[in-house]
Amino acid sequence: MKKCFLLLILIICSCEKDDVCSENAPTTPRLVIEFYDITAPEKTKIVPGLKAFGIDETNEIVEIINETVLNRTILTVPLDINNTQTQFKLYERYDLKDAVVNGNPDIITITYNIEKVYISKACGYSNNFEIQTFSITEDSSLWMDNSEIILNQITNENDIHVKIFH
Amino acid sequence: MKMISMSKYFISLFLVLVSGIHLQAQEENTQETDSIVIMHQYGLRLGTDLSKLARTFLETDYSGFEINGDYRLTERVYLAGAFGSEERTTETDYLNSTATGSYFKGGFDINLYDNWAGMENLIYSGVRFGFSNFHQTLNSYTIYDVNSLTWGPKSSSESEKFSGLTAGWIEVLLGFKAEVLNNLFLGFNVQIKRRIFETEPENFENLYIPGFGRTFDSGNFGVGFGYNVSYLIPLYKKAKK
Repeated sequence: MKKCFLLLILIICSCEKDDVCSENAPTTPRLVIEFYDITAPEKTKIVPGLKAFGIDETNEIVEIINETVLNRTILTVPLDINNTQTQFKLYERYDLKDAVVNGNPDIITITYNIEKVYISKACGYSNNFEIQTFSITEDSSLWMDNSEIILNQITNENDIHVKIFH
Repeated sequence: MKMISMSKYFISLFLVLVSGIHLQAQEENTQETDSIVIMHQYGLRLGTDLSKLARTFLETDYSGFEINGDYRLTERVYLAGAFGSEERTTETDYLNSTATGSYFKGGFDINLYDNWAGMENLIYSGVRFGFSNFHQTLNSYTIYDVNSLTWGPKSSSESEKFSGLTAGWIEVLLGFKAEVLNNLFLGFNVQIKRRIFETEPENFENLYIPGFGRTFDSGNFGVGFGYNVSYLIPLYKKAKK
């Protein structure tokens, strides 16, 4: 009787497969930027030596972990979910030699609203974003010419959210 | 029915032998067994779920209490019900939530067991309709973000309450009740349940429903068990048909 009772407790308490967050679960999406040719706005254009860094609130450079650069025409970067603004420094012709950085850095600023979206018991909530503004900071030697928000709602990484023309 | 008449025969034969009366074979044929009437106890049985009490003391994330009972209607059919309250905290890697509320269950049990004379045990199957009124509090969460290494993760421990939640379900159960002392019963049952309606909280889900138990991603089904102690308040006796 006691054995039966314990066994049943085990059976009832142990079948918790859906308590582990699946790797396939939709996570908080990153911002997807695609680069286009300013002279032929329908065509994507490679950014030679593209390299991205984050800039934190104290203007320090933040290494981006798992940054994805696809063919140097698509860049996928994470937004800071503890703030409603994130800045990135995007290098063209980035090169690091003897601790000296060469290349042309441009700074982009994204402001957004954050919405929390329920996924499941195991994964809890993810964040989605709504882009408010996207801007390129003026400097003397911009390699970016223009930008356009294609999709304000960042809900997945299959969409292109912003186009940068250069 | 064959079983019942056979047991009647054996019981009466036993009594006849014990009384020490010697009967001739031909006399046995003429003696009718109907002179022995088996009386069954009818009444109201009230009890509580010991497993809920035990878990309240043993588990930090659970407290619960249930009063259950049944009332014998016929030889085999019992009107059965329960009410109680539960509080259960669910914690996963990314969230921590507490469900609190009360529930009511009502239905019938059918005794499948043929007792020996004078015994009142049950092996029963039953059906219940269950209803729960509850609320959930999201105590804390960490945003699920596999790319949080760059900027750091985000957690919140600002509790958020989801009130006015209800759920209803159908429950099928199987169990036994054994009379261990005079009118005192110990019983165990297992329950399989299926939700028929529920109010889902906005941008959240019901992780635990008092009376129903934990929910599963895979569907509307649930499981449960009870380990009951109950006392039969005898009301009247009725002859077994």
